[in-house]
Parts: sequence; C-alpha cells; structure tokens
Amino acid sequence: MGLFKLIKAELKAVLSHPVIVLTVFGGVVFYSFLYPLPYTQQIPQEQEITVINNDNSQLSRQLERMVDATTQVKIVKRAHSIAQAKEQFLKGDVRGILLIPKHFNRDLLLGKSPTLSYSGDASYFLVYGTIVEGLAKAGGTIAAQAKVSRLVIDGIPLESATQQYNQVTLNMKPTFNPSLGYLNYVVPAVFVLILQQTLIMGVGVLGGSEKNSDGYWNKHSTLSIVAVRCFIFVGIYYLLALYYFGFSFEYYGINKLASPLLLLALLAPFLLSSTFIGILLGAILPRRELVTFVVLISSMPLIFSAGFIWPLESMPQPMIWLSNFFPCIPAIQSFLMVNQMGAEFSQISSQWQLLWLQTLGWGILAYFSYQHAQNRSGSVTFDRDKK
Amino acid sequence: MMSTSNVSQWQVLKHDRWLVSSLTWIPVLLALSIWWIFSQGIARDLPIGVLDLQQSALSRQLIREFDATSTLKVNHTFTDINEAKNAFIGNEIYGYLVIPRNFDRDIAIANPPQVTVFYNSQYILVGKLINSAALQAHGTFNVQIAALKQMAKGNSNQLSALSKAVGVRTQITPLFNKNSNYAQFLVSAIVPALWQISIVVSTILFLAANYRFYGLQKMATNNPLRKLVTMSGFYLPFFIMQGGAFLIWFYYILNWPMEGSLLPLFFAQLVTVIACMVMGALFFFLTLDPTRAMSFAGAFSAPSFAFMGVTFPVTDMTQVAEIWRSLLPISHYIEAQISQVSYGATAWQTMSRFLPSMLGYLLPLMLTLLLIKKQLRKMEDNNGPL
Repeated sequence: MGLFKLIKAELKAVLSHPVIVLTVFGGVVFYSFLYPLPYTQQIPQEQEITVINNDNSQLSRQLERMVDATTQVKIVKRAHSIAQAKEQFLKGDVRGILLIPKHFNRDLLLGKSPTLSYSGDASYFLVYGTIVEGLAKAGGTIAAQAKVSRLVIDGIPLESATQQYNQVTLNMKPTFNPSLGYLNYVVPAVFVLILQQTLIMGVGVLGGSEKNSDGYWNKHSTLSIVAVRCFIFVGIYYLLALYYFGFSFEYYGINKLASPLLLLALLAPFLLSSTFIGILLGAILPRRELVTFVVLISSMPLIFSAGFIWPLESMPQPMIWLSNFFPCIPAIQSFLMVNQMGAEFSQISSQWQLLWLQTLGWGILAYFSYQHAQNRSGSVTFDRDKK
Repeated sequence: MMSTSNVSQWQVLKHDRWLVSSLTWIPVLLALSIWWIFSQGIARDLPIGVLDLQQSALSRQLIREFDATSTLKVNHTFTDINEAKNAFIGNEIYGYLVIPRNFDRDIAIANPPQVTVFYNSQYILVGKLINSAALQAHGTFNVQIAALKQMAKGNSNQLSALSKAVGVRTQITPLFNKNSNYAQFLVSAIVPALWQISIVVSTILFLAANYRFYGLQKMATNNPLRKLVTMSGFYLPFFIMQGGAFLIWFYYILNWPMEGSLLPLFFAQLVTVIACMVMGALFFFLTLDPTRAMSFAGAFSAPSFAFMGVTFPVTDMTQVAEIWRSLLPISHYIEAQISQVSYGATAWQTMSRFLPSMLGYLLPLMLTLLLIKKQLRKMEDNNGPL
C-alpha cells in the first residue's frame, strides 16, 4: 500500500480537522499580530512628571527646560511641596517627581554639590527606568555646564575647559538592538516558542483524536505513521516559520542576519523534536484537550527560563538542566544568536547538537508511546491482524 | 443543595484525576517554578570582557572599577578586536570595554580619551543593567582621577579636591517598590498571570467533565444560571485558595515589601476569579468541545502577561492593544494589586477603580447563558442522546 496514499490520508486528516486548522494556521497568524501588539511603539517615551522647584533661579528653570526637552520625560504639572506632588502621583496624573533643592544655583556656583532628587514609579520598571534616564541626562548636562563655567571663571580657556570636564569619556554602544526597542527584544524569542507550542498542540490533538477509533493510523506500521506525520507537520511548519522569520520580521523591522540556509538547518531538529513531543503527548494523555492544557500551562515557565529575559548566569543550575529538555530553549538561544546577533554556525553548534539529541530522545519516546496507543485503539475496535 | 444532589462534583473529581491535578498541585508547581527561576533576585557578576590597548596601572584601575560593580565581572581579556567580537556574538560575554592606546598620556595632557563599551541590548534587562553599572564605574573613575590631579596641583586636602571634582550630585529614589528588586516585581506579576490561565482552563476542564458525566440536560435545564452558579460554587474555593496562597506567600512568608492591606486584594481576587470563570464558561459553551474551548482559552489568556503593562507601560500602548488589555480580567486585578502593594492606596481608592471595570464581565455572562439555551435547543432538535 503506497506511501503516497498514506501521505494523502494524513494530509487530509490534518486539513479537515477544524481544531488543528484553528490552532496551527489560525494560532500562528493570530499570535503574529497579537503578541507584538503591546510593543508596537518600541520605546516608552514622554513619561509625565511633576516638578517641585524650590530654587526658582534662572539656572533651575533652565534645568526644567532641559528636562522637558528630553524624549523620555515631559513636565506636565508643578507642585509646591512633596505632599502635593505625591497626591498628583496617586491620582495618576504623573508617574515621576523631580525635586530641585533650595540654593541649587548658589551651591553650584560656589562649587558645592547640590543634590537633585528624582523619583519614578518603580512598580513599573520601564517607566521608572525611562524617567530616571531622562532626568539623569538633563542633570548631567547642567552639571557639565556649571563645571565648565566654573573652570572658565578660574581662568581656563573655554575649549580646554569643556574637555577637562571629563577625565575620560565613556561611549556606551548598545549592540544588536541599538534602539533598545521592546519589539526587537520580545518578538524574535516569543515567536520561536509559539512555533513550538502550536506545533505540539496540532500534532497532539491529531493523535488524541485517533484514540479509541479505527482508521488509517492503525493500519500501518508505527514507523511509517510517525515518519509521515513528521513529514507533513515539519513541512507545514517550515512554511509557517518562513512566514514568521520572513514576513513578520520584515513587517516589524526586526533583524534578519542569518542566512536562510542556516535557519533551515536549525529549524530541522527543532521542528522534529517538537513534533515528537506532540506525538508523545497525544498518545499518553487520556483526552485530546489535555494536550492543549499541558502546552498552555507550560508556556510561561518555558519563556522565562530561556535566558533572554533573565540571564542564565542568575538562574539556578538545575532549572537550566531541566529546561534543556525542551526544544524551544536551545532554539530560542540559537535563533537569537544567528538572526539577531549575526553568529555563525560554529558558534551555535552546541545548541544544534542538543537539539538533535532531543530529537533522538523525544523520537524514541514518541515511537514507543504511539505504538502502544496504536495497539490499544486496535483492540478496542476489533481484532486486527498486526504487522 | 437538594436540586444538585444528583449532580455530585465529588463524583466528578473522583473520576477525573487531571481535573484534580489542575486544581491542586499543578498551579502550585508552576508558581514555584517561576519563583525559582528568579530566586536569585538580583543579576550579579554578568560576564564582560576587556580589550586593553594601554596596559598600564591606570587602565587596570579602570578595569577594576568595572569589576568592582556588583553587576559586572570582567573575566575575559582580549588581545585584538576580532577576538572580542567573536566572544560577544557567541554569547560568552554580555559586553566588552575597549581602552584606547595612549590612554595615560591623554589623561595627563587633559585630552580626555574615549573608552567604549559595547553591550548586548538584545537582552534589554541585561543591557540596562550593564549600562548603569558602566556609568557608575566610569563616574567613580573620573572623580578619582580628577581628585588625584587636584592633589597633584597642591590641593592637598582630599575633601576639597573631591568637591571640586564633582558637579551636581544626584539622588535617585524609586518612589514605591523601594527595593527595586526586578525579580520580585516580575514574579509578583507573572504568578497572577499564571493564576488567570489556570482558572480559565480549569473551568473548562470541570465543565467538560460534568458534560461527560451528566450531559448537558442534567447540567443546565431548568434555570441554567442557578445550576451554573452551584456548580461553579464548588470549584470557586480552590481558585480563591490559590490566589490567597500566593499573596500570603509573597507578603508574609517571603516578606516582600507591602504598603497597603491584603483585605481589599482578597476581595478583588474573588471578583477576578468569577470573571475568569465566566470567560472559561463562555469558551466552553460556544461549542461544547473542550479542545476548541481550550484553544480559545489559550489565545485569550496566554499572552496576558505582555498586556498587563508591568513591563511595557500601558500609556505607550496603542488603542487596539489597550482594548485587548481591558478584556483580560488579570490586567484589572494587577492594577488593584499594585495600588495596594506599592502605593498603599486606601481600599476605597483601589475598589473605585477596580469594580467598575469588572462590571463588564456581566456581558460575557449573559452571552454564556444565551449560548447554553442555544445548545439545549440544538440538542432537543437533534433528539439528543440524553
């Protein structure tokens, strides 16, 4: 009985199964728009703050203007006291406070160091970081100006005074994601997880639907069903991965540094091992909705252990070992390296080997669990000549 | 009680081990795993490298300043730029610092040399940490050199030398969330997001189990609302206990800072549980197919952490994103939680913001009841099996 016929039967089973079509095609396309949705503005900007100016000198007003001119911060309110500022904050009018102390101008000219106080809402990390960054920038500029003017008063020519402000200048170069965009940070990693999870769900639901019933799946050897299933799903997911790494990344303006060949090579063990996990779950879980259940609840622990949000160096070692059983972990790491940072194949070879090792391990589990399920569904219906 | 005596939930639980697991140890295990990932709390000793083209006492002092920050650990030394670049791209280091040739001479003749730090901003959190640690190290080094120079000029008093070296001192105080422990702050938002997923999917599981055991007829005919309420009432305490458990765990056992009171939060959790259960029921009665309901639940709740606004601010989200966000019960809950935990707002302030937005879940509840009626009619039309 022809391989071609089997492939046709499998393809038909996949495409005519509403839940699989919904999960695989619907899910992948839906998430490709939903997940990036919160981050489309990339960088938080113009956080609204209030200012308490106890100095009211010209210099302090200049500082205010400089603060307002940064892209990070915008002054929308003023307050006469800290209590009033806090009230404005609690009402939700502002998200940060700048306090310019009394005698700010005088102290600066006298060569004393006045203290500028900034406060931001640290319950929202990016809000806080943005406000502090903007205020620090403006504060640094005014401090530099004050110092330069003092050096000029001391009789040092303006040009060398400007240079003497710093003994050493620091040039911070953010690399791989120079704009520090949030979309560039989240999307390349999360999309890999989405590929894995929807693939497992699709394969698992198919296996779960076959349970306790008769069909082409128990009329063939385990090996041929598993092979054909891998062929079909890996094929479909190569197309969907092209959609993600091609269209979606282009659409959101995300780095695509890896050569297509390298991506295809990485996808092979990643998609294969994910398919095997799907076959395994479909075979061992008693009902097909449990496949979706297991996949769904595992998503958050998986994404947070992948190392791109929280550094691996700060994660407990046993957690890292545990996470390395799942294809998305080395896959996220290596896709980020080749596609976002421009690494070469030799630099991700350890992840690639791990993925193949996983393919082997999950493959063996998938084979035996599916064989078991096949036997069971055969015996439920009627005695069947086993081959 | 009497009317449901023939629909016993204990019986259902006895026959569905997965349902029992999803109500008990699975959510606990998930929450613990998230906490475990972030248990170190602060990212320390992130590996960076150095390309020192000067190799002098002064350049080594600068390197020591970088190494002395708690965030950074200089544990790679390179001799040429390609080597540094390879290690950087290969993810062995999160950044590297380049100290130029003539570093000493330029400092001596007051022609400030430029030190460059390349750091990995693909990992935003790591990038931000490296950035501020580098600024700190650079600041310290600058002041040291300036003070040294002042003293060399004969300004022997170290204090006045220092004050001439420093300009505006800045004091950064985080308003609320005083310890700025990023990990704690993430965990206290991720766990509620997980809790929401757990409630929605468990609701689907128990409805599906009831459907399997008793059929729609027994589950829902004659006053479906009351039957749905009694059935859900049995499972509600499980979810309430999960919610209460994580609050007590965070703010009593782990002793994380807490400005307000837990009481309004327990109430907010009750409302959140009901809203999540309504959404789960809506997904289930849409098709009565648990697999499809589970897919809808996934699409709805899986990305909710991204929409909560604790990492990326809501004010910078687009209108569409904000609309999707407002559909998720947990994004309203997290606002209530932050208002109590960080701001120490009054119960009234918290509730007056929280409750009106939760009234919106009456709409999906009504839709669910309509769907039940529709499904019952459909069953009768088909002369259903039960």
